[in-house]
Amino acid sequence: MGSSDERVVAVIMVGGPTKGTRFRPLSLNIPKPLFPLAGQPMVHHPISACKRIPNLAQIYLVGFYEEREFALYVSSISNELKVPVRYLREDKPHGSAGGLYNFRDLIMEDNPSHIFLLNCDVCCSFPLPEMLVAHRRYGGIGTILVIKVSPESANEFGELVADPSTNELLHYTEKPETFVSDRINCGVYVFTPDIFTAIQGVSSQRKERANLRRMSSFEALQSATRSLPTDFVRLDQDILSPLAGKKQLYTYETMDFWEQIKTPGMSLKCSALYLAQFRFTSPYLLATGDGTKTAAVIGDVFVHPSAKVHPTAKNLLTLNYAQIGPNVSISANARIGPGVRLISCIVLDDVEVKENAVVIHAIVGWKSAIGRWSRVQGEGDYNAKLGITILGEAVTVEDEVVVVNSIVLPNKTLNVSVQQEIIL
Amino acid sequence: MKALILVGGFGTRLRPLTLSVPKPLVEFANKPMILHQIEALKAIGVTEVVLAINYQPEIMLNFLKEFERKLHIKITCSRETEPLGTAGPLALAREILIDDCGVPFFVLNSDVICDYPFEEMIRFHKSHGGEASLMVTKVDEPSKYGVVVMEETTGKVEKFVEKPKLFVGNKINAGVYLLNPSVLDRIELRPTSIEKEVFPSIAAEEKLYAMVLPGFWMDIGQPKDYITGLRFYFDSLHKKCSSKLAVGSNVIGNVLVDESAVIGDGCLIGPDVAIGPGCVIEAGVRLSRCTVMRGVRVKKHACISSGIVGWHSTVGRWARLENMTILGEDVHLCDEVYSNGGIVLPHKEIKSNILKPEIVM
Repeated sequence: MGSSDERVVAVIMVGGPTKGTRFRPLSLNIPKPLFPLAGQPMVHHPISACKRIPNLAQIYLVGFYEEREFALYVSSISNELKVPVRYLREDKPHGSAGGLYNFRDLIMEDNPSHIFLLNCDVCCSFPLPEMLVAHRRYGGIGTILVIKVSPESANEFGELVADPSTNELLHYTEKPETFVSDRINCGVYVFTPDIFTAIQGVSSQRKERANLRRMSSFEALQSATRSLPTDFVRLDQDILSPLAGKKQLYTYETMDFWEQIKTPGMSLKCSALYLAQFRFTSPYLLATGDGTKTAAVIGDVFVHPSAKVHPTAKNLLTLNYAQIGPNVSISANARIGPGVRLISCIVLDDVEVKENAVVIHAIVGWKSAIGRWSRVQGEGDYNAKLGITILGEAVTVEDEVVVVNSIVLPNKTLNVSVQQEIIL
Repeated sequence: MKALILVGGFGTRLRPLTLSVPKPLVEFANKPMILHQIEALKAIGVTEVVLAINYQPEIMLNFLKEFERKLHIKITCSRETEPLGTAGPLALAREILIDDCGVPFFVLNSDVICDYPFEEMIRFHKSHGGEASLMVTKVDEPSKYGVVVMEETTGKVEKFVEKPKLFVGNKINAGVYLLNPSVLDRIELRPTSIEKEVFPSIAAEEKLYAMVLPGFWMDIGQPKDYITGLRFYFDSLHKKCSSKLAVGSNVIGNVLVDESAVIGDGCLIGPDVAIGPGCVIEAGVRLSRCTVMRGVRVKKHACISSGIVGWHSTVGRWARLENMTILGEDVHLCDEVYSNGGIVLPHKEIKSNILKPEIVM
């Protein structure tokens, strides 16, 4: 079935700048896929998961961002992981399946036997080698990663019904109003090259319908039948749904964690999930310390090697290292002063947190400065609009100021305390 | 003659507009804010303008080259690497401003809009023979600002009082100065405040004089004051050059319409409305006390009664915007949506009502 020279290509959809504004204000300064979770850019996690696939030939990142936004990252990650990663820019929206089809020539260049399709803003354990094994066993044209969720939350996603013994996909529906199933689409798929035929089928069917429609002006008035461009093909509604029940698509269930990273609040939650995963897969990435010679580390914490966590030299008798964690990620060149307490936060590059400050349930933007005895905190409700506090790039919080459940846009200075506010 | 305009930094108070365009280039009455000042300076013979900035996006450079070319005036940027306050930038630009013949130079705060009576100010400066002159303007609530305490007849400044609790006077610093080059010797290249350090020392030597600004004055650095400022500006424009304003049966009060804008039938526009280039105002639209930036489409029967609509946005049919609604660049308000004071960041589509003032990110 699987020979050793069957190559695999992975395609990761990374989206584009104006599509999602839910990741603001962080997305004002950085493309969402490059925002760090557990110390690594968001897209790094699916990319390093792809590295575990046997015979991986190439990884493509597909999106709308300008090429230059990904140029540096792509070349450095290719070198670091020793696998070719390339960014492909879509000239116009083609939909999730249309995007894949748009680049089919490049994807098929290596003559792969299988193609993985992943969404960049999905946080999970990416059990890709296991999915491939299962897919080969099923013998269909595609296998979809699914997870069980609470029935109440299932309708936010695509709901799937699978045959319990054969795992065949029987039914698929996107965000239904009534309950269909508590198994949902994780946004991770493996296909054989037949998928391109299926996508082309939808595209030409739509073209035919469009030609017919042109003859009926009454139909043209009906906005419900307003046609999408013929090369705009959505994976869920246009491919998965119609192919369900035809012994072409199968499901593979993951028992691990799964989240979508749509908002800054969720990025904090997912950073914690990945940090917890590091404890099993790569514990050397996590920080250690007991507060005597270095900072006291509690739980899962990532500290970039260039970040400095130190007490001031002047008062060595009452050495007072910071206490960091759980769920803290500190990026490059950040400086954490003595007596600081950090809980559940992401501290980005070049941030300075001065003595005795407290940061809880927050994201502190690049180059920001947190004053002495100041307190930056959120409630910790990752889904609420103002559930965590977010400080944009270069925000200064002056000494002793308290910032609670607020969002502060870049380049602001807070010299008075604020609560539940968005500061433009 | 030379002039320096204190442009400063990121213009965060004018967000969301300044998320798309640097503040000096945000249009006020269909003309970039900084162009109002540069044109007024050119008109009284200033040959070189220095812009003191601490943040310069590339987009500014192109515009400045264009202004230089069109107005035949030299424009240079003096870029602060650390914020230097309100006086430090003058030290940074010393080489340009200094003059051996003692010719004074103007300093303007970039957010100030007024009639720019520079000729009167030059006469005033010569007549008192002091080292520095500043414009002051009368306000209703002086304790919000820094009050200038001065002798009524001569204008000689006694002192500055920041946000006074008791009434000491009702004249505040209008942000327009005329300074002798010798003032530069008082300013070190470090963060310095002109109001707190430089002017008080000149006043102590009885060499600082204040002139009450004739005409209107507004600091248009934030949206609320931007809209109020438009009203004052239009009143003044009406008196000086009313031919620029629109006339017609569908116009009430002062209205400025770019020649490339299109207005449909049955509209009622004004008072105090500015409509930018390439705008399309469809039939039956009511606009009052608002600015509609370049490339905006306002669809049929919509009503905007106070606000700013950012570049290339659309306002849907029967939509209603009021109470200082600010739409950033490329915002699309769907049909029938109501916004009461919504502030919407760029590149958004608004499908549901904004019932009370809030920021939509």
